[in-house]
Amino acid sequence: MRALWHACTKGGGKGALPEEKNKLLPLQQPQLQHQLSQQQLLVAPTSLVKVESAMILLPGASRVLQQVLLSRLRSTEKPLEVDFHLTEFDDVRYHIKASAKEPKQVLLSISLPQSPPETVLSAGLPFGAIEAVKGAFGSVSQVVDPPENDYHLTLNVDVGSFPTDEGLADQLITKLASLRSVVLGAPLREILKHLATKTVAPDADRLVALMHRPRESYFVIPQAEKVTVVFPMRFKDSNDVILGTSFLQEFMEARRSPGLSTAPPCVWSPSPPLELKGAPGQALDANAGFVSFVIFPRHVEGDKLDKSVWILSTFYAYVSYHIKCSKAFMHTRMRRRVETLIQVLNRAKPEVEKEKKSMSGRSFKRAV
Amino acid sequence: MDIGGGSGESDRRLFMDPTSRPAVVIDNGTGYTKMGFAGNVEPCFIIPTVVAVNESFLGQASAPTGKGGWGGSALHSAGVMADLDFFIGDEALARKDANAYTLSYPIRHGQVENWDTMERFWQQCIFNYLRCDPEDHYFLLTESPLTAPETREYTGEIMFETFNVPGLYIAVQAVLALAAGYTTSKCEMTGVVVDAGDGMTHVVPVADGYVIGSSIKSVPIAGRDLNIFIQQLMRERGEPVPPEDSLDISRKIKEMYCYTCADIVKEFGKHDKEPSKYIKQWTGKNSKTGTPYKCDIGYERFLAPEVFFSPEIYSSDFTVPLPEIVDKCIQTSPIDTRRALYKNIVLSGGSTMFKDFQRRLQRDIKKIVDTRLTASEFRNGGGHKAQAVDVNVVGHHMQRFAVWFGGSVLASTPDFYKACHTKAEYEEYGSSICRTNPVFKGMY
Repeated sequence: MRALWHACTKGGGKGALPEEKNKLLPLQQPQLQHQLSQQQLLVAPTSLVKVESAMILLPGASRVLQQVLLSRLRSTEKPLEVDFHLTEFDDVRYHIKASAKEPKQVLLSISLPQSPPETVLSAGLPFGAIEAVKGAFGSVSQVVDPPENDYHLTLNVDVGSFPTDEGLADQLITKLASLRSVVLGAPLREILKHLATKTVAPDADRLVALMHRPRESYFVIPQAEKVTVVFPMRFKDSNDVILGTSFLQEFMEARRSPGLSTAPPCVWSPSPPLELKGAPGQALDANAGFVSFVIFPRHVEGDKLDKSVWILSTFYAYVSYHIKCSKAFMHTRMRRRVETLIQVLNRAKPEVEKEKKSMSGRSFKRAV
Repeated sequence: MDIGGGSGESDRRLFMDPTSRPAVVIDNGTGYTKMGFAGNVEPCFIIPTVVAVNESFLGQASAPTGKGGWGGSALHSAGVMADLDFFIGDEALARKDANAYTLSYPIRHGQVENWDTMERFWQQCIFNYLRCDPEDHYFLLTESPLTAPETREYTGEIMFETFNVPGLYIAVQAVLALAAGYTTSKCEMTGVVVDAGDGMTHVVPVADGYVIGSSIKSVPIAGRDLNIFIQQLMRERGEPVPPEDSLDISRKIKEMYCYTCADIVKEFGKHDKEPSKYIKQWTGKNSKTGTPYKCDIGYERFLAPEVFFSPEIYSSDFTVPLPEIVDKCIQTSPIDTRRALYKNIVLSGGSTMFKDFQRRLQRDIKKIVDTRLTASEFRNGGGHKAQAVDVNVVGHHMQRFAVWFGGSVLASTPDFYKACHTKAEYEEYGSSICRTNPVFKGMY
């Protein structure tokens, strides 16, 4: 996140922050510290468990779902009725419900953001989602047809049929709690799978639009030896546009550091890259530029695949999260600055002469 | 803000309207934070309000900053991403023994003390726990009745500036606790809220949704004091509890075994007669060495909640029992509200969860009121009979998170969105709009 410092204190050259904020920033420049988070983002799973635990990436599994499923599985107390309506970032909604009578049956519904016109859906779900869900959870759940009203997919999860081994069960619960990634990431996963085997799906388009956020999409250009992913970045708030732009610029810079030579190349540009020629005009209207990643087969080998899919399909949330973190960080620095200034002011105050008193409470002043 | 282009824009905006999504309700208490989405019956998470900060990052906050620079180099040496290296809630408590982390409790006695960690705490609540985009939801936060307007402004600043929330409502906890009992059939917004949390106990009279500020009474005894009291009792008796865990153990004992007794002397007798029935066993493991230990739980089971009713057993500074304070609070309220206030005394907060707490409080208040009535009748020569005062202490099964539940109920009414301060208003007028919050008109 220190990327922002960098950008801001270089004299406002790149990410010109509002003047007064600029003045408050430190003169001594902490070296670019953002590298790690990019490494995390790009190189995916391995390495640096400690840093990962410090919430640089958004976790893939929803905590509430995890918690509910776990309590259904492990709880020894009398089961109570559970009924939660949840809304996640990007307008993904969940409804998880279990009655007290049949504590081992959990109904889990998911609703997806409204799809942009350029994406292709099959029966309201992203391409291949149903197959992915059946493949992942077929043994413990059934797809309910038709889904619950207002939702796109409903699963009837039978907690009783979970594996008895704790480790396996935990894995399954985490996977179920990452339902969003399975459903929304299905088409991307399919493309990346082909990349891992270095083939191109025969019917693949040259340019694929996938659902990213409500009414927004990102683009994937699949080729035999690489896949290019392009995100148009849009921010609602004008301050965020500035912070976001400098963040992304630094993000791109950080990729050049020697430690990250295996990470996917990443390019940010203010105008649509050439690959997007032919995409519909309204999809190319972005106020914070375009970010493209080039994914090579080595990035999607084995179990890196799942993580890559999750990270790519929530890229916007990641950037937006870090913009907020860096604002919090700036506020910390500002508060600290104010504190030191107040200290200086306090020191400058003339000392008021205090009336000295003896132990018994009498003062030395004589009545005149 | 240009998210759409051309003809699609208007309906894109319409769809993006945050009022169509449930509001986020976060009740930050001194001990626990309750958070979730409006419209649910339960909060999604109840976690301790605590942040474990990386020491190297924290260190420079207090370290002298030298000339000119203000800790820039210290920050650099703090390591990569140190400002993201922190944990909240149970995860933070799990790290209390780790060398690199320091625990920080951002709220003390119901007031935010450390804004740095508070901001981080909110950040984690929103992004890691609830996993929502703060730009998409209206927010309902709570505050203690004694919060200064400046604090409210500061909260508003953080919410609007850092998180870009589209709308914010900061509600008084007591009002929400009353609203928890709010149903379509009964819209009672007059009552006294006895809110005993972890840090502070407040007795707050509310008339028609408005807090009667001059009659608020605070008691410096709450959950945390009970923990300390239990710890003291056990230490004096020489129970083999490892000192570093003892406060945490006493909290657990309080939550699991304590109850309110009707008469303290009789209760001692009962315990002495049948120790096997009343004295519980606690087995645990030393968190550092892992050696198991065993201890007894005896009189503290009823003595801890008794602190509310006879505080002199715990502290010599404060000796007014809770029932008396509630009575005094009602007696100083406007005369035309008093009967209604006696009729609806609502319990809220974790420290009112003891078994029979409600009955004991009701009995004691009733006793005080009846004595006063007979005395006044006697003074009048017995010629005039006063109408008996109805004393009613209300408890319900959601007492522990009554404030949150009230928030959830309120925030799911359509009026809520109208009562909120919006980001547009904030940008127009500044943070001073957060000084006051309108009371919902549609509620009563």
